[in-house]
Amino acid sequence: MLAIAVGACSSGSEGGAPRGRSGADDPDRPKILRVAYTREIDVLNALTSQNLVDIQFSMVEGLVTTNENNDYIPVLAKQIPTEDNELIVVNDDGTVTMTWPLQEGVRWHDGEAFTAEDVCFTWRFVSSAGSQVYNRNQYLGIVACETPDEHTVEFTWTSVLGYYAGLFEAILPEHVLGGMSTEEIITYVPYNRGDALVGTGAFRFAEWRSGEYIRVVRNDDYWRGPEYPAIDEIVWSFIPDSNTRLNSLKAGQHHFGQIEPTQVEEMAAVDGYGVHLVSQNSFMHFDLSLNTAHARLLFGERDVRQALFHAIDRPAIADLLMQGTVTVADSPLHPSSPYHNEAAPSVAFDPELANRMLDEAGWRRGSDGIRVLDGERFTFKMLNRAGTADRIAVAQVIQAQLKDVGVEATFETLESAAWTQRWRSGEWEALVSAWFLPADPAITGLYACGGPNNMTGFCDRELDELMVRSDGFLDFDRRKQALDEAQVSLAASARSLPIYYNVVPEVVSTEVGNYRGSGTNFGSFWNLWQWTLGS
Amino acid sequence: MIPLVFGITIVLFAVIQAAPGGPEGALLETGRFIDPEVIEAYRERLGVDQPVPIQYVRWIGGAMRGDLGISFSTTRPVSEMIIERLPATLELMGASFLLAALLAFALGTLSAVKQYSWFDHLGTGFSFVGIAMPVFWFALILQLVFGVWLQWLPVAGTQTVGATSVTDHVLHLVLPTVVLSLRYVAGWSRYLRSSLLVALRTDYVRTARAKGLSEVAVVCVHAARNALIPVVSVMALNLAGLFSGAVITETIFAWPGIGRMFVQAMFARDYPLLMGILLLGSVMVVFFNLVADIAYGILDPRIRYE
Repeated sequence: MLAIAVGACSSGSEGGAPRGRSGADDPDRPKILRVAYTREIDVLNALTSQNLVDIQFSMVEGLVTTNENNDYIPVLAKQIPTEDNELIVVNDDGTVTMTWPLQEGVRWHDGEAFTAEDVCFTWRFVSSAGSQVYNRNQYLGIVACETPDEHTVEFTWTSVLGYYAGLFEAILPEHVLGGMSTEEIITYVPYNRGDALVGTGAFRFAEWRSGEYIRVVRNDDYWRGPEYPAIDEIVWSFIPDSNTRLNSLKAGQHHFGQIEPTQVEEMAAVDGYGVHLVSQNSFMHFDLSLNTAHARLLFGERDVRQALFHAIDRPAIADLLMQGTVTVADSPLHPSSPYHNEAAPSVAFDPELANRMLDEAGWRRGSDGIRVLDGERFTFKMLNRAGTADRIAVAQVIQAQLKDVGVEATFETLESAAWTQRWRSGEWEALVSAWFLPADPAITGLYACGGPNNMTGFCDRELDELMVRSDGFLDFDRRKQALDEAQVSLAASARSLPIYYNVVPEVVSTEVGNYRGSGTNFGSFWNLWQWTLGS
Repeated sequence: MIPLVFGITIVLFAVIQAAPGGPEGALLETGRFIDPEVIEAYRERLGVDQPVPIQYVRWIGGAMRGDLGISFSTTRPVSEMIIERLPATLELMGASFLLAALLAFALGTLSAVKQYSWFDHLGTGFSFVGIAMPVFWFALILQLVFGVWLQWLPVAGTQTVGATSVTDHVLHLVLPTVVLSLRYVAGWSRYLRSSLLVALRTDYVRTARAKGLSEVAVVCVHAARNALIPVVSVMALNLAGLFSGAVITETIFAWPGIGRMFVQAMFARDYPLLMGILLLGSVMVVFFNLVADIAYGILDPRIRYE
């Protein structure tokens, strides 16, 4: 993962890392890692939480996680099954048997042994109706979970699911939650709130002070060995305001915090910290819709859409608007992904070409400079989500650049929940948005005809075939080839313009060791067990 | 009072539900792909797939039994969440109210007594700045000066983790209190100045002076007592304003009060939690009006209620 140290200087001067409070230099004092976290989370159940689950992952582990290179690595699994290691077998009837060997000697925080039964229990919960797990449908291909022994799980899949490695990101304890209904597990406050939360992770739950912080303490019985973790305690303070987070970091009150790209320069000058630009598995994009009659009239022709994309100066957005912190995207798949296609066509900024293509499509400039075809002006509405300053700024640049080629874009800004409702209804014409992809990318749901997250109204059977094919391959080469073709086909259809890969600047004290920022949904705390604290 | 609060709940419930979007928006906030069946199951579990009147009847039925429902996002009882957060808000409100009242009384009285002096002009200038200055900007400036540059005061939170001393807590309280009270110091001191100027020109004050009373007794006992009646009315109404003003202050200073919880509940469309907080706010408005009415009677014995 791209983790670029923008600034890391000596400690001890004004504005440095938490001064004398971490216990880092005093062997008798506990080493306390202080994190300025962006929000208060909803629940501690990592599978039903609707927030990113960094805090939960300090206590709870899954079969796998992702590292700073966007690779899946085993955690509670000994190894990730593949056809090569013969842990995946495609049966004659088309079903797939997948075997996960599990780590031995792992204990839950209450001393109970972690076994294969816990994995099967987790599968039964996730796939049950109403489980509220965001990717539940991906588990539905599993029809049976067997436990040949305490440390082996065997799944039977109805068919192959290419991105199976990203499932089971957290395992639930059967001895705590077993015997409860799905609804009871979702609403079980002692587990959600921490009192009954047991995991297998490097830290144990200690305290949740409502509105203030969650505190976790070292798990002395951690299965990786008595030397892990090297930190005694982590305090996750909830500081939702980005300016306050910046000030608290500058005041030396925290070791870690995420800031805005526009704050990077200011923070880079502060001694005792490094600012790391962690490139996310998330891409900003400009979507067009075909859902309304007006949108179909404007965006129905591929050449017209392509012309609009040629009018947008993405390098300028990346270099000037985002101050060079991000890189231009040509594909939804991040460059660090092995499935990223370097050869995916890039849309060049060429306003002259855009003008010519629009002219050829019959859209002629009217008296006010806006193009007209059969009495219809080329004007559409962009849906903005309030509070997302970066997206709105990008939308404003797009608005100005489209105006230069005679296309008028107006704004309708809605608050987050209202925006989501409108997006789901399909009653919109264009928008700037961002998706967070798992490390193993499956883009079918986003672009397939009637895909659960395809709200654009676009449908391309050829692309569908490629994407569905890619989901059904276990073999890397064949899967990559299908995804490569899908990325080219997607770019050629000019239905969505990738703009840039999002970046989250992470401020890390120079006292912290072994930090390796990761931009996947597992986040940068994936290897907390390895982190150290000391000057 | 009870019918009034009952009416307010109907309006609040209708307004909250009228806002576009629902709690399922939270499921998509992280930008992860989501299974639409999960969204529908979520709505069904929360009961938001039911018509609004049915949802209201369920809610008010529970509320009348003291059950404000279960928070959509945290799955915890709303009343428990409110009780947990209320002390922090009341503490911040109380400290801000006291600070604002003390400073406003001093500033307003001195400005009136020394009308058109340099102090009066300075006070007027301060008031305009105090009222006009955006709260979030003032808060960030204070954080920068006292937290980052001087390092005298903590930037956020209520207590250093692990510290139990009262001093540590008081230090955390200083910045949010100053920020929250600023606007009220400015406003109330202006009200008091105007009111006191009128009082100081009345016959009974002239009589008090003619009797040979000291200037302090004339101003503080005779004039101020009458001058405070309109000010108290404003202060009582502003107490509810302090409650809502705490939303911004609590968010910026990461103060774990009701205001911050309200912001989170609003974005998550956590209807039961929103209703619980708004109900509390409504009760407070009604209650503080009652307090103002009682205060009139104390300040002016001629005012009596039957």
